[in-house]
Amino acid sequence: MSTAPVYEIDPKTFWQDPYPDLKRMRAEAPIAYVPQLGATLLTRRDDIFENEKKVEIFSSDQPQGLMTVLMGQNLMRKDGAAPMAERKAIFPSVSPKTVKSVWKAQFEEKTAEALEELRPLGTADMVKDVAKRVSGEALKAITGLTNMSWQEMDRVSQGMIDGCANYAGDPEVEARCHDCTGSIDRHIDGMMPLLREAPDSSMLSVQMQAGLPEEAVRANIKLTISGGQNEPRDVIAGLVWTMLTHPEQLALVRDGKATWLQAFEEYARWISPIGMSPRRVAQRYEAKGVTFEPEDRVFLMFGSGNRDEAVFEDPERFDIARDTSHSIAFGAGPHFCAGAWASRCLIAEVALPMIFERLPGLALAGEVPFGGWAFRGPLEMPVTWDAAGIS
Amino acid sequence: METICVTWILQDGSRKTAAVETGGNLMEAALDNAIDGIVGQCGGSLACATCHVVIEEAPAALPDISPDEDDMLDMAEPERLPGSRLSCQLLAVPELDGIVLRVP
Repeated sequence: MSTAPVYEIDPKTFWQDPYPDLKRMRAEAPIAYVPQLGATLLTRRDDIFENEKKVEIFSSDQPQGLMTVLMGQNLMRKDGAAPMAERKAIFPSVSPKTVKSVWKAQFEEKTAEALEELRPLGTADMVKDVAKRVSGEALKAITGLTNMSWQEMDRVSQGMIDGCANYAGDPEVEARCHDCTGSIDRHIDGMMPLLREAPDSSMLSVQMQAGLPEEAVRANIKLTISGGQNEPRDVIAGLVWTMLTHPEQLALVRDGKATWLQAFEEYARWISPIGMSPRRVAQRYEAKGVTFEPEDRVFLMFGSGNRDEAVFEDPERFDIARDTSHSIAFGAGPHFCAGAWASRCLIAEVALPMIFERLPGLALAGEVPFGGWAFRGPLEMPVTWDAAGIS
Repeated sequence: METICVTWILQDGSRKTAAVETGGNLMEAALDNAIDGIVGQCGGSLACATCHVVIEEAPAALPDISPDEDDMLDMAEPERLPGSRLSCQLLAVPELDGIVLRVP
């Protein structure tokens, strides 16, 4: 284990709200060993930004890691030339141009469908009824697994995430994860012949067209599902909550003084949906007086770096007018989120504008608890709107 | 290690010149020299468009813009101009000694 100073957390409190502990760590022990997590945490933005690029030291290749064992070795868990080649292969499915010319129209159609269905009801849960569905439908399109329901997409995504976080080795969680990856494989089996006949821009199809080994194709689809469902879901619902609780910021967007994209980028900084990315130390290394030993587990705390006082003024404040260019919400290096452009389009160009336009008088109707530090978002969010007067 | 001379014209109009080691790319060189406005979020994996520069003077022909860079440049902020490039795609090679880049 590293020689970093020890910082103790209460896991339950940390899960409910990690920000006070992270603030103290940034001030007192910016590189700290947290025994409850069995990992050394990097909490300052510039330390993360610099070290994430040192892949020969802070490696993503974690052969014994739960993600690799349960989901196959995807490109997020490789370093060097191989993942870059795979990135290049999937680029045509997630490039800004494809997002604009292919996916945006589908995002709009599916989001409109969901909102039209809910509209007459006047009440819903923003997380379960709206964000999950919008996110799941988008992911069906991008992955190419159009033979899956959005409910199943959400289930398999969550099942894999739980499996990857199952450090305690609960056999039930592991079995559920296997069931989920099995379901994805069956859906891939179902789509492959169709896409061989009629190739399209989906991630499954472009990887097949590029001739990637099937093992890599399947692993990358699973990665996309584990990383492409929860995050947009959490940001869609989280940003709705944020705008409803910061009406002056909502007014800026409504008056055309700021954009939904600014709101999106600032939310992803303020409550980063992915708060942490793990690394394995590949060789002995010293940084800021801390010695890291091979096989040490390191957590890059994006959610903390994005509230670093040295980089962001008054970082605890949600302010859509701020410069977010130094945010590391999408990561900071060769593993930068491949879905960044798709998520910007889905959330800032489609979901948020449509939700506020089509659900007039949208208001919170109960408590909105947030949870998580590795992944963070609202857990439930009862809302109402004015269903009367809608024709 | 061989170096080349690279100049950035910053957003406020001032110029900053540095000796840059050959072998790396010009986004990394900008970060090493703390050039304001160059963020390099994705570390050169052609995924973010935050190392956008406009070529003011190039002492030699630059490599062609690949389709992926072209696609990403369309999303650059501020908007793409004639001469726009992503500096992560420009290697510091001896032929580019004296290159001048503007940070838009």
